[in-house]
Amino acid sequence: MGAAIEVENLVKSYGNNTVLKGLSFRAEQGEIFALLGANGAGKTTTLECIEGIRGYNDGKIIVNGKIGVQLQSSSLPANITALEAFRLFGRWNKAKEDLTILDNLGAGEFKNKQYRTLSTGQKRRLHLAIALLHNPDIIFLDEPTAGLDVEGRISLHNEIRKLKTAGKTIIMASHDMAEVESLCDRIAIMKEGKLAFLGSSHELTGEYYGESKILIKTEHQVPEFKLECSVPLSMEQNYYCITTKNISEALLEILTKLKEADNEVLDIKIERATLEQRFMEIAKEGK
Amino acid sequence: MRAFIYGIGVQWKLDLRNKGILITYYLVPLVFFGFMGMIFTSINPEMKDTLIQTMTIFAFSMGAFLGTPSSISEMYSGDIKKAFKVGGIPLWAGAVNHFISAFIHLLITGIIIYIIAPFAFDAKLPENPVLYFISTAVFLMVNISIGTVLGLYVKSPAKLTMFAQLLFLPSLMLSGIMFPTNMLPKAVAVVGYALPATWGLKLMTESELNILNIVILLLFFTGAVIISSYKLAKIGID
Repeated sequence: MGAAIEVENLVKSYGNNTVLKGLSFRAEQGEIFALLGANGAGKTTTLECIEGIRGYNDGKIIVNGKIGVQLQSSSLPANITALEAFRLFGRWNKAKEDLTILDNLGAGEFKNKQYRTLSTGQKRRLHLAIALLHNPDIIFLDEPTAGLDVEGRISLHNEIRKLKTAGKTIIMASHDMAEVESLCDRIAIMKEGKLAFLGSSHELTGEYYGESKILIKTEHQVPEFKLECSVPLSMEQNYYCITTKNISEALLEILTKLKEADNEVLDIKIERATLEQRFMEIAKEGK
Repeated sequence: MRAFIYGIGVQWKLDLRNKGILITYYLVPLVFFGFMGMIFTSINPEMKDTLIQTMTIFAFSMGAFLGTPSSISEMYSGDIKKAFKVGGIPLWAGAVNHFISAFIHLLITGIIIYIIAPFAFDAKLPENPVLYFISTAVFLMVNISIGTVLGLYVKSPAKLTMFAQLLFLPSLMLSGIMFPTNMLPKAVAVVGYALPATWGLKLMTESELNILNIVILLLFFTGAVIISSYKLAKIGID
């Protein structure tokens, strides 16, 4: 698989304020790629530069394929019906009229309603249908499920998975970490106009980037001992808690010591950091 | 071309669904025509000679200055332009669609006035109907192009209303459609020459074509098109 999008040393300034400071990454064809960052990190500017709706000062962007864009803040004339909008964009894009796109996204049921009467979720579905009508290779989704109810989110997630199965590349920005974890193959976290992390969600939540907690409940009180590979033992709701970067070594060590002390283990839990915690560490604290 | 024509059709329907547009394109101009047709012609029977022209100029000025800009401003100052840009619709298409749609709507109003005035108020029909309709079309184009400039440049609805009134009210008072220009103070009458309505009234009331009137109106139109094109190009880059 080749690259769907390549961004090299992208620089974008608004007056004296440099928002993107030499940003580089590539999204592979057929993957779902998430661009994350705190507000002001530069992710919307990055997306808009790639989408071609904003110019940039320096660097290079290569887009290999037709793009379809669903913007986070987007609007249409208040009195246009969903069907008229779908047809208008379709004709300008010389796309074959395929109303099943509307139906698949659940937009067929409100196709004759005027834009001003649509709910936020219905508007999002309509904008996604418009983004898909010319069969793009790369689809940009900015906060795709914002404002959708649970049913709408599940339905849209399924559509996004179907698009991936069809070989489309999806670039999405989202604040919903559960959505990112469930959908995305790779994640890029931006901080102050630069890339702070690039990898899979497993890599992000894995040992390398942070600590995990081992919680152990034993039959008797654990005698004072110190593990080589962890911070000292503490108590959390009747569980002994060990915070460590190296789960296997710490676990082996503590189980050995408990066995030597003839103290039976009643329960063991391992808690790894959530994507949200890792995101906060990287995007906010710069770890 | 197919997309462009479809866009005009959609815009025409959108204008029909827009209450603000219906009020400024049809309702107020026609109600005003009804009242003024009765009042003007009974106060001064000579008004029958120019009733069609003056009421048409009123309708076109109202529609183009108070109606068209708000619809264009809504499109170009908000998120609609972003949706059009990423959706592959050229930005100029929105402005041109608005222009053509407004032209058709206001021309219908002009035709209604032309047909009703002789029956309802014994108004005199223009001596040369072909010249009259060419003049009407030119004046209408000029007004809508100025309305387009307003819609593209003024984002705030409050400011838009203010600028539109700054054009509309002098067009009413100083062009000669309400009072003869020779009754106005000289300095005020001179200001009237800066308004398209003054030249429009001259053009539409003359039985023979006066090139000067049409050239001046076309200068207004060309200026407005250049200013609008510059703004659209700038929006495209931003």
